[in-house]
Amino acid sequence: MDTAAVPRQATQFKVIDCDVHPYVKDGLKSVFPYMPEAWVQRFMRKRANVSQEARSLKYLHPNGAVNRDDARPPCGGVSGSDPHYLVQDLLEKNKIEHAVLNCLQTGSLCSTLASTDESIVLCSAFNDFLINEWLTVDNRLKFAMSVPSQDPQASAAEIRRIGKHSQIVAVSLPLLNILMGNRYWWPIYEAAQEVDLPILVHVTGPDSIFYGPPISAGGIPDSYVERYVTLNQAGESSVNSLVFSGIFEKFPRLKVIFVEYGFLWLLPLLWRMDRTWRQLRHEVPWVKKSPVEYVHQHIRFSTQPIDEPRDPKDLDKLIEIMGYDQLCFSTDYPHWDNDMPGQSLRGLPSAERQKIFWNNAYTTFRMA
Amino acid sequence: MANVREKKEVSVGKAADFAVGQFKIVEIDGREIGITRLKSGELRAVRNHCPHKGAPVCKGIVGGTWLPCGPGEMVYGRDGEVLVCPWHGFEFDLLTGSELFQDKPLKLLMYAATERDGEVVVSV
Ligand code: FES
Repeated sequence: MDTAAVPRQATQFKVIDCDVHPYVKDGLKSVFPYMPEAWVQRFMRKRANVSQEARSLKYLHPNGAVNRDDARPPCGGVSGSDPHYLVQDLLEKNKIEHAVLNCLQTGSLCSTLASTDESIVLCSAFNDFLINEWLTVDNRLKFAMSVPSQDPQASAAEIRRIGKHSQIVAVSLPLLNILMGNRYWWPIYEAAQEVDLPILVHVTGPDSIFYGPPISAGGIPDSYVERYVTLNQAGESSVNSLVFSGIFEKFPRLKVIFVEYGFLWLLPLLWRMDRTWRQLRHEVPWVKKSPVEYVHQHIRFSTQPIDEPRDPKDLDKLIEIMGYDQLCFSTDYPHWDNDMPGQSLRGLPSAERQKIFWNNAYTTFRMA
Repeated sequence: MANVREKKEVSVGKAADFAVGQFKIVEIDGREIGITRLKSGELRAVRNHCPHKGAPVCKGIVGGTWLPCGPGEMVYGRDGEVLVCPWHGFEFDLLTGSELFQDKPLKLLMYAATERDGEVVVSV
């Protein structure tokens, strides 16, 4: 898609960015003040640290870094590790009014890299670090708090511990290779619904690499590029599972936002789910209306990485068919595949664009 | 003649300060332009705005690339002639400004850059 003719510009309307990744600068050392001494000693003794990316050799980014080199803070550290610079480089430059922070370091520890006990301690420590050292920097920074998903009860306790913080707007749930409709997740949905927070899901990094998080269908991909293309698959399976397991009948106020799973796949998925439900509804009689209605009522999808058909009008057409209420704009800053608001979805009518850049997210996250 | 802008020449610094394989970014009339030297000694001046989605393209990697080849092979080439955008990774040929290996390549916006009396001069 050639947008060369159009200079880089901010949008004229308000923007909520649903996907921004903060990095904890000095790794585990930074969060030591937020955990009990016994655990500090435990982690120091094993010389533990946290990497930026949980990757095996074959999935390292072909250009060397998932984080943009050009977004490194001038004072040093990886991109995304300085809240002051992030506010300036992302929010100010692009006129973003709210940015939802989702820490993938916490996510990858919780889904995969840490033991269950370690993940519970680390999750609270990272959450508290971000609350104290990031959210206080700027009120425009909102937070999708993480939960230690290897233990649903501990996750629910974490939600009840900090979930009422005014800048916390969602629960970031590190997915495991257990479909989202499974009863395993019930305590987390119950607690999230209790404090009015939507569940936000996003790949945590070790997906399709290690045992623990969701894996791509059909086998293990052989390269970064191949894996990248398959990462949406867990999104599809999860939407399907949530609806047919009756999660939204069990938790009628629950909302879920799928972040960075793409969205164009939703169209054929919904057609297929709808037809199959008409045929075999009686197998899952708790599904009382068309799957399409549950999805429209309860589930949202972030836009990035926006697919780019060679003719951009094809994308506009598909979004028109999908309807404009499902999508929430996201940048994915500071990652290499980020989308900035000024260059995104320019072909859509402006009222509809405003829904995607603001309204849909505003009514999904706990903004008020 | 219609549609032909008068070009103006701007000196952007001492020739010795422009190293092979590195971009030096200057601002001319509010436009950021990156200037680099190829291995041949030739200069390239590139608008620091990726034709894909506007990234500061001159902050990307300058290097070579792996040329199209058969499955299981690996051929490195074009060393020092390829600019990789720091965002989505599109690759541009620094000799021509064209995106590599595409039927309908995007093009970098390039300006003429020459050396004169020990200075680098860019026409904008
Ligand atoms: S902005 Fe340069 S490749 Fe997308």
